[in-house]
Amino acid sequence: MWWKDCGLRLRALFFRRRMDEELQEELQFHIDMQARKNQRNQSDREAKRQARLQFGSVVRATEECREERGISSIGIAARDLRFALRMLRKSPGFAAVAILTLALGIGANTAIFSVINSVLLSNLPVKDPQQLVFLTNPDEQGLEIGFADGNRDFVTYPEFQQLEQNNQAFSGVLAASNFTARISVELQTADSAANGAPARISMISGSYFSVLGVTPILGRAFGPEVDKLHDANPIAVISYAFWQDRFGGARDVIGRRIRILNTSYEVVGVAPLQFHGETVGANPDIWVPLTMQSEVFPGQDYLSEETSPFRKTEWLQAIGRLKPGVTLAQAKASIEVEFHQMIETQAGGMSEEEKRQFLNQHLAVTPGSHGASTLRGDFGKPLLILMVVVGLILLITGANIANILLARSAARQKEISIRVALGASGSRLFRQVLTESILLAAIGGAVGLLLAQWADAALLRMVSTTSNQVRLDVHPNPAVLAFTFGVTLLTGILFGLTPAFQATRVDLKGTSRGVAGATARPGRVSTGKILVVAQVSLSLLLLVVAGLFVRSFRNLSETQLGYDRDHLLEFFVDPLSYGYRPTEIPALDRSILLRIDAMPGIGGATLIDNPLMSSRDSNSPVAIEGQKPLPGNNADARWDMVGPHFFSTTGIRILEGREITDGDSGNGQRVGVINETMARKFFPRSNPIGQRVFVQTTSGQAPFIIVGVVQDSKQHGAREKPFPRFYVPYFNPIGNDWTAGAAIIVRTARDPSSVSSAIRNVVKQAAPNLPTVAMETIDQRLADSLVTDRMIADLSGAFGMLAVILVCIGLYGVIAYATSGRTNEIGIRIALGAQRSGILWLILRESLLLVLIGAAIGVPLVFAASKWISSLLFGLQPADPVALAFAIALMFLIGVLASYIPARRATRVDPMVALRQE
Amino acid sequence: MDSSRLDLLQGTLDLLILRALRSGAMHGWAISERIQQISQDVLRVNQGSLYPALHRLEHRGWIKAEWGVSELGRRARFYSLTASGRKQLEIEAVNWSKLTDAIARVLRMA
Repeated sequence: MWWKDCGLRLRALFFRRRMDEELQEELQFHIDMQARKNQRNQSDREAKRQARLQFGSVVRATEECREERGISSIGIAARDLRFALRMLRKSPGFAAVAILTLALGIGANTAIFSVINSVLLSNLPVKDPQQLVFLTNPDEQGLEIGFADGNRDFVTYPEFQQLEQNNQAFSGVLAASNFTARISVELQTADSAANGAPARISMISGSYFSVLGVTPILGRAFGPEVDKLHDANPIAVISYAFWQDRFGGARDVIGRRIRILNTSYEVVGVAPLQFHGETVGANPDIWVPLTMQSEVFPGQDYLSEETSPFRKTEWLQAIGRLKPGVTLAQAKASIEVEFHQMIETQAGGMSEEEKRQFLNQHLAVTPGSHGASTLRGDFGKPLLILMVVVGLILLITGANIANILLARSAARQKEISIRVALGASGSRLFRQVLTESILLAAIGGAVGLLLAQWADAALLRMVSTTSNQVRLDVHPNPAVLAFTFGVTLLTGILFGLTPAFQATRVDLKGTSRGVAGATARPGRVSTGKILVVAQVSLSLLLLVVAGLFVRSFRNLSETQLGYDRDHLLEFFVDPLSYGYRPTEIPALDRSILLRIDAMPGIGGATLIDNPLMSSRDSNSPVAIEGQKPLPGNNADARWDMVGPHFFSTTGIRILEGREITDGDSGNGQRVGVINETMARKFFPRSNPIGQRVFVQTTSGQAPFIIVGVVQDSKQHGAREKPFPRFYVPYFNPIGNDWTAGAAIIVRTARDPSSVSSAIRNVVKQAAPNLPTVAMETIDQRLADSLVTDRMIADLSGAFGMLAVILVCIGLYGVIAYATSGRTNEIGIRIALGAQRSGILWLILRESLLLVLIGAAIGVPLVFAASKWISSLLFGLQPADPVALAFAIALMFLIGVLASYIPARRATRVDPMVALRQE
Repeated sequence: MDSSRLDLLQGTLDLLILRALRSGAMHGWAISERIQQISQDVLRVNQGSLYPALHRLEHRGWIKAEWGVSELGRRARFYSLTASGRKQLEIEAVNWSKLTDAIARVLRMA
């Protein structure tokens, strides 16, 4: 019964004094009893004396009893711990360096893990999250119009309604807008300057809170009653953070009103603190019913059944809760049937080809316990790579500390051999040394946990931009703490094992000879050297990876976009959302452009419907007059509607013909400009100028006459590949007119920041109802789109440098130690006439050999690893020779640097002193 | 020292303690008295080594100790057999008789 034993041992450990007293009482009782017996035939005094004599030494008996119960593993552990603390206090320098590097290593691991945990691993804080399944794509975000065959990213509102009513597999289905609108929100009781600040608004179905099993901490959630009537449910549930920030946590918040755009909502509930909605990182402030969509996005109708199945508005995430006993596979099969029954009714009147594509739509049913997040797609792989990188850093750190401990245990040989001579067993010594390293790791881990908090905040700042704040809950939770604890323990054991084994192998004869006993035997490979070789190969790997990411990021940020990036300011205006009527918009846009044009220091102003460096784009199949249309997706071209002088303003080069000007506005014959890829693809042998193109839009065919060909440009990001694209006049639009807003682009003659406030004033004059616009240069927008690349380049670069420093320290330690052991040999060599340069080379050679072996092991690792990261690289081969050569050269430089001081010291060895030492 | 009294062999003390406790809980002094009494004063327990043995057996879980009141109304530590101690007693008793039988046979034959 080990637990009883454990109990006794713990008692022995913590109640030492009490147990001693009890033992004394017990022995005294025995002696008294004996004395009583003796009294029968002896005098009182004599009886007592005899009793004591018969018992023997009380002290010895006490001691033996104590020993019987005191030799417990816990007692030993406590003693080892006290001893280890004493050893650390004795060498504070070593302790400080070891703890600091461990704290860095463990802290970095904890920091990356907490982000991974919240993005990739955590379950949503809802009831039974493992019962939730996504019917839509949890990794995507956006609004899609029309359809693409294959798995659906999102569903439409009518589709959701049908799924909710007809499904067999789920106890409930919810829908939520997969993006949050950021709209300024006014509270009825205006109290502070924060009033009117933007808040994130999520639209949800009535089933939302009940399906998730989330109960408001104050007030109530809303139910299916809000799904019935459109535009008639002005009620809202607010987040805990919003309640605290904007209402000061007032208990009487229920029943208060908040104004979003032109509608006033009644607050009916406050969500729990941990609940941040179904999308990780989205953190909505306010949840309103989906039926309030046209109040949140005025002028748009995302709710009604579409007139044509080709122009569906897909914008909702749908999540179901599995009925008890229903498996994922059963749910998948049942949803497939229901979804197809639904779309088959819509496929009437389609051509065979259209029908085939239309019916090839599916809902993928995937586990939903982690919630939705675009962070997974954007951020998942970089995070895993960083996790590996920091893991390697921790290994290198551990190897360094193992090396220092090895050197120290060599220095402690005398102490250890005395302990062995006094009867310490191998396992006792082993545990003693291991305790020291685990103690080091534990202190390092505790400090690392603190560092991680700070590092996580910094990391989130790194990947956040002004327009896209990444907000994650990275507070230490049980999973993170368990991870840190595990990593700490593992680190302590890993770097403690070698020194611990070393300690048990101590040989008594060797040490009795004194310091010279520590002489390195030639030909024997020391553990320290193996560790250093491992360090070199891992550092090489880290350096190459860092080099690849740094070079890839440079390629990305220096990539030619095809237009000016330093002197273009861009800002988005969305008049419809701020009370302007659709018919007023063209005049409003024109007035803004004219006013900006008239400003001094401005090289022109134009506009485009899909902002540059945004994720918004248009795509339609095209047909050329007189040509057979290309089949399927092959006929696709992307397109933009642009203002007059768009090309001369942005700097996109016109290769042939002319650009779009003021004269192309109006309702006359529409003109258009195509890019060179489109010209090559659709007019391989003919001159495109003057040709007529038909654009297949959801509302029918729209024609334009080609008047110019322009250079390809990367309109939506540095990674964009050349794709056929055409441009038509914004003021002679195709299809859906101007309701979706547009980006105004201004060319500035001087530093863009010098005119931005003047531009803001001008916009305010032209459109007083619009909020103050946020302006960015193309360069800033590009930088914003590359934050993840930048983060991984910066971090891997920093960690690469850290690895170099660590390996330099490690090499120095090993070479210096080996060299000090060879003092005799070097003395003899010098005495026999060896040149100083020969001695220098002798030491240097040893270091370079270690680097060489390490590099030889590292290069295959590099090739394996670079395959894994190649999808994140831009403009380089994974086996980039520059990065590899740089890393290898740096490692050899480190080899020279690290051995230089020991080598110099070796050349100064006085042969007489060295020889006398023996 | 009285030559008719035998000092105990190492390890046999444990067996005798377990056997003595089979009839019920008793304190240390009573155990030593009982062993001496039953063996008709042939076996003499070294009182100094009795207590370390008791603590050892307690640690192995063969006996357990509780504070109680002695026959004279004084506080005393009473030891009693545990279930595993009972089992251990059987094993050791069998072993002991095998050993003594073997030794006796050797002595007879030699």
